[in-house]
Amino acid sequence: MNDERNAMVKAQAPTFQEMIFALQRYWAAQGCAVMQPVDTEVGAGTFHTATTLRSLGPKPWAACYAQPCRRPTDGRYGENPNRLQHYYQFQVLMKPSPVNAQELYLGSLAEIGLDATAHDVRFVEDDWESPTLGAWGLGWEVWIDGMEVTQFTYFQQVGGIECAPVPVEITYGLERLAMYAQDVDSCFDVVWCRDPEGRELTYGEVFHENEREFSTYNFEVADVAALRQHFDDYELQCQACLDRKLPLVAYDCALKCSHAFNLLDARGALSQTERMNYILRVRSVAKAACVAWMEASDTKAEVA
Amino acid sequence: MITKDFLLEIGSEELPSAPLDAASAELPKLLGAALDEAGLAHGEIRVVSSPRRLAALVSDTACATEASTQVFRGPKVAQAFDADGNPTKAALGFCRGKGVDVGALEVVEFKGEKHVAVTLREPAKQASELLGPLSEGVIAKLSWPRSMRWGSTTERYCRPVRWIVCLFGDDVVDVRFANIASGRATWGHRVLAPGEHEVPNPSAYLEVLEHAFVLDHDARAERIRAGISELEGELGLKVDTPASTFAEVVNLCEWPTVLAGHFDERFLEVPQEIICEAMLKHQRCFPAFNADGSLSRTFILVSNGDPAHSDAIVEGNERVVRARLDDAAFFFAEDLKVSMEDWLEDLAQVTFQEKLGTLRQKVARMEELAGEVARLAGEDDVTIERAKRAAHLSKADLVSQAVVEFTSQQGVMGGHYARAAGEDEVVAEAVAEHYRPRYAGDELPGSVVGSAVAISDKLDTICGMFAIGEPPTGSKDPFAQRRGAIGVIRLLERMPSASLRALIDTALGLYQAQGLEFDRAEVARAVADFFSGRLQTMAREEGAQPDAVAAIAHTGVVDPAEFLARVRALEAARAEAAELMDDLAQAFLRATHLADPSLGTDVEREALEGAELSLYEATEAAERDVDAALADNRFADALAALAALRGPIDRFFEDVLVMDEDPRARTRRLVLLNRFAAPFAGVADFAALAKTS
Repeated sequence: MNDERNAMVKAQAPTFQEMIFALQRYWAAQGCAVMQPVDTEVGAGTFHTATTLRSLGPKPWAACYAQPCRRPTDGRYGENPNRLQHYYQFQVLMKPSPVNAQELYLGSLAEIGLDATAHDVRFVEDDWESPTLGAWGLGWEVWIDGMEVTQFTYFQQVGGIECAPVPVEITYGLERLAMYAQDVDSCFDVVWCRDPEGRELTYGEVFHENEREFSTYNFEVADVAALRQHFDDYELQCQACLDRKLPLVAYDCALKCSHAFNLLDARGALSQTERMNYILRVRSVAKAACVAWMEASDTKAEVA
Repeated sequence: MITKDFLLEIGSEELPSAPLDAASAELPKLLGAALDEAGLAHGEIRVVSSPRRLAALVSDTACATEASTQVFRGPKVAQAFDADGNPTKAALGFCRGKGVDVGALEVVEFKGEKHVAVTLREPAKQASELLGPLSEGVIAKLSWPRSMRWGSTTERYCRPVRWIVCLFGDDVVDVRFANIASGRATWGHRVLAPGEHEVPNPSAYLEVLEHAFVLDHDARAERIRAGISELEGELGLKVDTPASTFAEVVNLCEWPTVLAGHFDERFLEVPQEIICEAMLKHQRCFPAFNADGSLSRTFILVSNGDPAHSDAIVEGNERVVRARLDDAAFFFAEDLKVSMEDWLEDLAQVTFQEKLGTLRQKVARMEELAGEVARLAGEDDVTIERAKRAAHLSKADLVSQAVVEFTSQQGVMGGHYARAAGEDEVVAEAVAEHYRPRYAGDELPGSVVGSAVAISDKLDTICGMFAIGEPPTGSKDPFAQRRGAIGVIRLLERMPSASLRALIDTALGLYQAQGLEFDRAEVARAVADFFSGRLQTMAREEGAQPDAVAAIAHTGVVDPAEFLARVRALEAARAEAAELMDDLAQAFLRATHLADPSLGTDVEREALEGAELSLYEATEAAERDVDAALADNRFADALAALAALRGPIDRFFEDVLVMDEDPRARTRRLVLLNRFAAPFAGVADFAALAKTS
């Protein structure tokens, strides 16, 4: 590709924020409530209550939102063009899954500058499982010209509870999609937005320093003893909230536990057995919160 | 008989490759069985499959079942009616069972007795009525490794079902599954012919699919092969298409277009194993090699997109490959900056197994064990030192960035790093190969050094797991001990002088030295038994008779070369002289049944006479010959030496009464039989042979 065409592609491609706008508008038009991200550290958009808890129970639900995610072990101090410990997912959840879920998804690609008819789009088997959420589902990773850009999953179980009806979860990797649409090789070169004069703000200007600092913290500074204590404390808080029938707060505590575990993992502080034990502990609080939430919504349904 | 063609197409969202292939094999069986059960004659069943459909075309399916008449015999007339001529309970029950009134009863004669009977006429059933329910049953019966639900329905399938085409001749057969009603509309390729395409009748199905840019499995495979070979000719390259990736690629498209992409020259400096893995496993692309065998910068991809956009699709794939190889090159370059000794220290932080310690400790044990393997194999000091050195470096790459990313290249990368660090080539190669054999039929390491490290790795794991009481079970073998044992067996077969029992003892001793507590003798026995079990399985799989395998196993031999050679020799001897061997085994069994081991084997030679004496002399000779033969691993000769006892033992049993009334004579003869049995013990358990013959 010559430079001129290159420049043209970049100018025509949506900016990072335009992609989020476009996806929100598109899915809102399909009946999704546009949510805002959950304000607790999570490893994936799936952990948002709008996905985890709302996947459960008989009531229909449709929502979409951009979710900042933290995966401490993926940090590379901002030195790797493809890896970040903090990144964005755009998440769609529809329950029950509509018959045309795949077609709706393909339609959304055109909205962010990727016309599915001009690319090689594949649905490649990828069974999804979250040991910490006690959740699993079947579906695919979606490839565009060989690049994995989306996870597409029909949830079967969440929090150890069967999903009925079945929700479909569509998770876009926003940085990857933006890199592809804007034809840049480093996520730090992604154009976040342009002002009316055409001046660009890049993803790197927004987050590069953040990557360096948090990678340093996650790998070198985070206090292991304090993190273990945080984990224990939130586990107890979760129990206390469950006792008082406050499942939403209990679930929030489970998320805190999960993040403390992720940091301990990044610090390399856990042996294999210990790691397994922590995962089981997160799973049991997350499951308990899900079960409590189901019970609470059953009670409400009876009252109504 | 009037027949029509039948079509059942289950349209779904993209099915994963392996389950799709398995279901393609299962569908005709299920459908054939269902048609047979329904009594519908039919011709050939052809399966058509693509990622979004699984279909069966059945030729010449009968339009109706055959009408039939069947007579059912009931109780005897005498028991069917009482004295007053009223039907008894037996008669009423028979009528109820057949769904008829008593008035329908007839009388038939059977073996000279009169019985009541009913004649039931089964009218012909129309295929158009049978095919719907039958198809629904087949869809539900397809077995998937994992199935799922979707939407608000409860039916299960591999992925959501989106449409069903079911046609009998020109007519739609009503089939319902998960809220979907059958019709005659199939769905075309997502991009090239999106939406519905009407199928007028089954014989037009393949043509409609092709117009909708969908090819059946075999047609896709053929088109991909042809596309690849065309590019091979054009570019002068040889493309590597491993079966597992190829099978998957065929099932990742409905309308394949084979394209060539390229990556930068500079990536050729990255070890080609990682490039190939990135291509095959991550991107489902095929690497291409130059005529001289070196990796080229071309790769082959199979697109499912619109051929009009192939340029953009190639460009996109090239970008993805570039990003992947950039990663790989970055990892490799970073790795080369680190010394292997530093990684080795990092291994002290990596758990091998909770109770067995860290990988650093495992490496230390492997060094000793690998050296011992080489020593027992009769190698010189240089080789022994190389084996230790290779074992020392063998696991270092596990903490390298490249292996963390491309796990299956463990060992291979270690070989590259060792070579880059200036290690001896034999050592580097041994590091690279020490995970072999990784699966049945895999190549073995090329050198003694590589074999020694490979044995030390596998045997250390097995001995450790047995020492902590975690041998493999039917359902649990997380450290692949079975595969490891088979590997050790295949490797030791090439090193007959390295004693497995000695190596097991060394391996266990190293764990004890590390502070692990267990009963060394008992664990050693358990490990040897485990190996014996694997050896027996392997020998049986080679085609040896189970009793021959058991006969050799009873001798306690576990050295693979010797074990297998003995089994083969025994099999050969039995094949050559079946009667003689059988007779000998019977005689041995008879002798051991009579014998009383407590009497010992010290024969009172002076008192012997006739058949006793000749048996004694023959036994002495056999003892000598067997010992000499076994010392040289001449098992056929050992068997021949035993075979020489057949005449004397037969004569002994013919001429002599063992259980003589005279206690002295009796004892003398029993001791002689003990002596007779002794030379057999080291060769094979002849009792095991006798039991089955």
